[in-house]
Amino acid sequence: MIQGHQPLHDRLSIMWNLVLWSGVALLIRLFQLQLYQNVEYNELALHNSTQMIYQTAPRGRIYDRNGLALATSQPAFSLIYLPPKVKEKADLKPLAAALSKQLGQDPEALLETLQEAVREQTALRLAENLPRQTYFRLKEIETIYPGIDLIEEARRYYPLGRFASHLIGYMGKIDIQSYKQLKNQGYRVDARIGKLGIEKIFEKVLRGRDGGIRMVVDAQGRLKRRLGSFKWETGSNIHLTIDAAMQSAADEGLRKSLTGRGAVVAIDPRNGAILALSSTPDFEPNQLLSSDPEVVKSAKAGLDWNNRAISGVYPPGSAFKLIVSAAGLNEGRLNTQDTIFCPGYFELGKNIFLCWNHKGHKRVDWWQGLAQSCDVFFYHLGLKVGGDLIERYETAFGLGRKTSIPGFEHWEKSGHLFGPQTRKTAGRGWWEGDSVNLAIGQGELLVTPIQLAVMMSAIANKGTLYRPNYIDRIEYADGRPAYEQKPEKLGTVALKDSTWATLQAGMALVVSSGTGISARISGLDVRGKTGTAQNSGGDDHAWFVAYGARPGEPSAVAVAVLVENGGHGASVAAPIARNIILAAYHLEDKGGRIIPSTGTLSIPIPATPMRAGPGPAVRTL
Amino acid sequence: MPIKVESGVKGRLDPPFLFAAGGLLVMGSIAMLSAANPLPYYAQIVTRHSFAVIAGIAALVLGLSFNYQVFQDQAKVVYGLIFALLSAVLVAGSTHKGHRSWFDLPFFSFQPAELARIALILVTAAFLDARARRIREFSTVLLAFGLAAPWMILIVKQPDFSTMLTFIPILIGMLFCAGADIIHLLALMGYGLVTGMMPLLFTYCQVNYPQPTPGTLPYLILQTSRMGTATVVVLVGASLLCLGAWRLSIWLRMQARSVFFIAVPIILAAGMLSGIVINSRLKSYQRNRFVAYVAPQADIQGAAYHVHQSQIAIGSGGLLGKGLFSGTQSQLGFLPERHTDFIYAVVGEEMGFAGTTVILGLYLLLIWRIVTIARTARDRYGYLVCCGLAVMFGFEFVLNVGMCVGLLPVAGIPLPLISYGGSSLVITLWSLGIVANIYSRRYALL
Repeated sequence: MIQGHQPLHDRLSIMWNLVLWSGVALLIRLFQLQLYQNVEYNELALHNSTQMIYQTAPRGRIYDRNGLALATSQPAFSLIYLPPKVKEKADLKPLAAALSKQLGQDPEALLETLQEAVREQTALRLAENLPRQTYFRLKEIETIYPGIDLIEEARRYYPLGRFASHLIGYMGKIDIQSYKQLKNQGYRVDARIGKLGIEKIFEKVLRGRDGGIRMVVDAQGRLKRRLGSFKWETGSNIHLTIDAAMQSAADEGLRKSLTGRGAVVAIDPRNGAILALSSTPDFEPNQLLSSDPEVVKSAKAGLDWNNRAISGVYPPGSAFKLIVSAAGLNEGRLNTQDTIFCPGYFELGKNIFLCWNHKGHKRVDWWQGLAQSCDVFFYHLGLKVGGDLIERYETAFGLGRKTSIPGFEHWEKSGHLFGPQTRKTAGRGWWEGDSVNLAIGQGELLVTPIQLAVMMSAIANKGTLYRPNYIDRIEYADGRPAYEQKPEKLGTVALKDSTWATLQAGMALVVSSGTGISARISGLDVRGKTGTAQNSGGDDHAWFVAYGARPGEPSAVAVAVLVENGGHGASVAAPIARNIILAAYHLEDKGGRIIPSTGTLSIPIPATPMRAGPGPAVRTL
Repeated sequence: MPIKVESGVKGRLDPPFLFAAGGLLVMGSIAMLSAANPLPYYAQIVTRHSFAVIAGIAALVLGLSFNYQVFQDQAKVVYGLIFALLSAVLVAGSTHKGHRSWFDLPFFSFQPAELARIALILVTAAFLDARARRIREFSTVLLAFGLAAPWMILIVKQPDFSTMLTFIPILIGMLFCAGADIIHLLALMGYGLVTGMMPLLFTYCQVNYPQPTPGTLPYLILQTSRMGTATVVVLVGASLLCLGAWRLSIWLRMQARSVFFIAVPIILAAGMLSGIVINSRLKSYQRNRFVAYVAPQADIQGAAYHVHQSQIAIGSGGLLGKGLFSGTQSQLGFLPERHTDFIYAVVGEEMGFAGTTVILGLYLLLIWRIVTIARTARDRYGYLVCCGLAVMFGFEFVLNVGMCVGLLPVAGIPLPLISYGGSSLVITLWSLGIVANIYSRRYALL
């Protein structure tokens, strides 16, 4: 040691103390970070390094009344993109270009989705429902680009395709508005949601609860390993009252009809259960879920959302003669034996009302008048019964009022009543000419097909108006019952027994020897009424309302068939109704011979519920 | 004073010092090998590091084996050699990430600036020893900086701002320990402080007042940063203020030295001007570091991302850490520069509070031993070399750890002996060899 360094050593001590106390300060900071705030930072580290991969729960199935699956789930592959956690200005363009080649999507749109995923720091589906051959080609891309993952998940599948599509509805991408409302219920930005019909109405029931896998991810968003998972809960299954055979008969009948536009509603008169509810033009719901955007686009382009069965309003035409007859019979203003002469036209003051048969029906009583649908007879009857009474019966049978078919409140139309009271409420008068028009179901009277089906079943069961219903029961995924539908009455039409008997007998004559002869089925008791409704929109609408029964048994099916602008109800609508009634009794017409139906719908149904793979990932926790 | 002569290895070497150095080397190697594990060129890193450890131990033995005074005698040669190397690297060096700082040699790459750091201490110690009689003159302070200035300029040219930055505290610390006038040093530090504060102040105003209203203070400050009329007005205003204060003190018959009233405004003005110049020359990544420091919440994913991730890594380590190779922050790539600048965060995450405290303790032990060796050195040159190294280790340690725990801004300074870097490790161990040499020759008569 050299002498005279003492003051310098003091300075060195100052330097040393500076370092020492800095060290102490750092120690305090380390204590704070590592021990005091450890829990907080642990959470941040976990947030950084883990990603929730959601597994879409298999959606509940929809069955027909015989247990045939109408909507089910199928394993499919989806391509998801997990954005990197580090906000490096990663160039997404090569990825977008590589993907667009494989997926056939627009690279610009893909790039936008990728950028959105990065911006929102959430995983997004790039494509779904991918076919197997694309799957293997994409596997290659997966190894090159971090963040791209192929996952297996449950996709909605409709085994029968174009089948009761307006009733069952379809699934689609959640729109931004719904997402904002529903995100606290666990919906994610790329979720699929029921868009129409039962899929929409029973969304909550069918959906189930999504599962999830917590994965370790690195800073580039690559999935590393599994930390844990929680299981999804399959949605509940809905058993419909729909009979697939009848529904097919209805769908096909309408599709093959003259205009291809129309509606069918078939109801069980004993409880109001809907057996078939059809509206065309319909759509193929599987196409709307396709991975190919072109297919979805073209499927959507030709789509007619209008469910004509419940929201189409039409003049009932001659089908309304049943109500007029009921009023006349029940009020004693109609003697079935009384005849009138039909010259083919009817004069009221200066106005001339034509019969549909311009040659005239000559002398007809009520039986012939109904069977041949003689307009002139009903002009006379209408004047005799009067607008007030007809309107009362019209109301009693539920016309002008929604049938309140559950879930369809927003879609269902109430139609339009026509009569002196309605006119009065609207501040307008009623003339005899109006009664004449009303007598044949024309004028301002507008009804929906489902209203006429309800009316028909009330005639078949002698007076009970049931609320039309399509749910038989709902079951949890494990088979426990969740809900059972009981018949609900909307009201009763209290008519004399003789009125019902006469009316039903008249309708039998319509089918056996009148205008409804093409609905005749040997061995079955079919009763009905045709309608050919004039309208301002073009050609006449073809109606046929009917119910069928085994002889001596109560009727099990009432049906209303409408073909828009189809022309004559007798030739266009009645054959469709006939096929539906045949199907209802498990019969078929083989070259004029009625035999028990052999062919069930030959559609392969997956026997066991599918295994759901990891669903799409969406957000970090 | 009785002289106790010890003999043999025990007396020639300082066990706590070697323990601290060895402990840091071991801890550093473990942390570094764990941190670099996920990297694709891991095998290369392992090879290079093993090579560097062997070469480093050899360098330590080299530093220990011949008399350190040779550096004092040959200070001019050392000075010229370093100058030549620093010049050569600008011409013949290879470029990594935009810095022309390396010589690519057959087995390793060598960074002359690393060597210059130690050489600066050796050369400055020789200079200060020679100026011992005139140590209290301001000229000594200026000359010490003047001597280092050519190297610093060459290093900034690379550009390697961080290494240049460590020169200043080393110089000030050595001047302080050599007995320079505190007033001079304070003036110098005041100048440095003003210079450093200017970019911070400008950045702070820029971030917090993107559109300042004319007439307000932030507006004035931002105008000043543009080197225009506002700058002149502020400078003249400050000078007049000081002049007024001077006249006032004379009028009040205060016993104040006039030199203060001249020195303070000069220091302020010079600091401000150089601060403005530096501010205007900042690279965007350097600017971002300032932003990250003054407003960490402004852009958590951008500039402040590194510090944020480092704090998460350290904080989530807890008492005993997540285990080697198991840190999520480091192994999954959330922690940037994990085997170099942010190695301490890896220690914090994987070895926990225990690991960070051990390294902290070993560092303090190492510096304490260097300080003790400085006291026992047989000559002023040895004393000054130890002081310089103590300041260097202290500064780099505090700055690096302070950055990792989020107390100090990101400076891009690695942690010696712990961070990955072959030439840095070899040269650091060589400098520790010199310290050991000073210790072993503490009683030698010449």
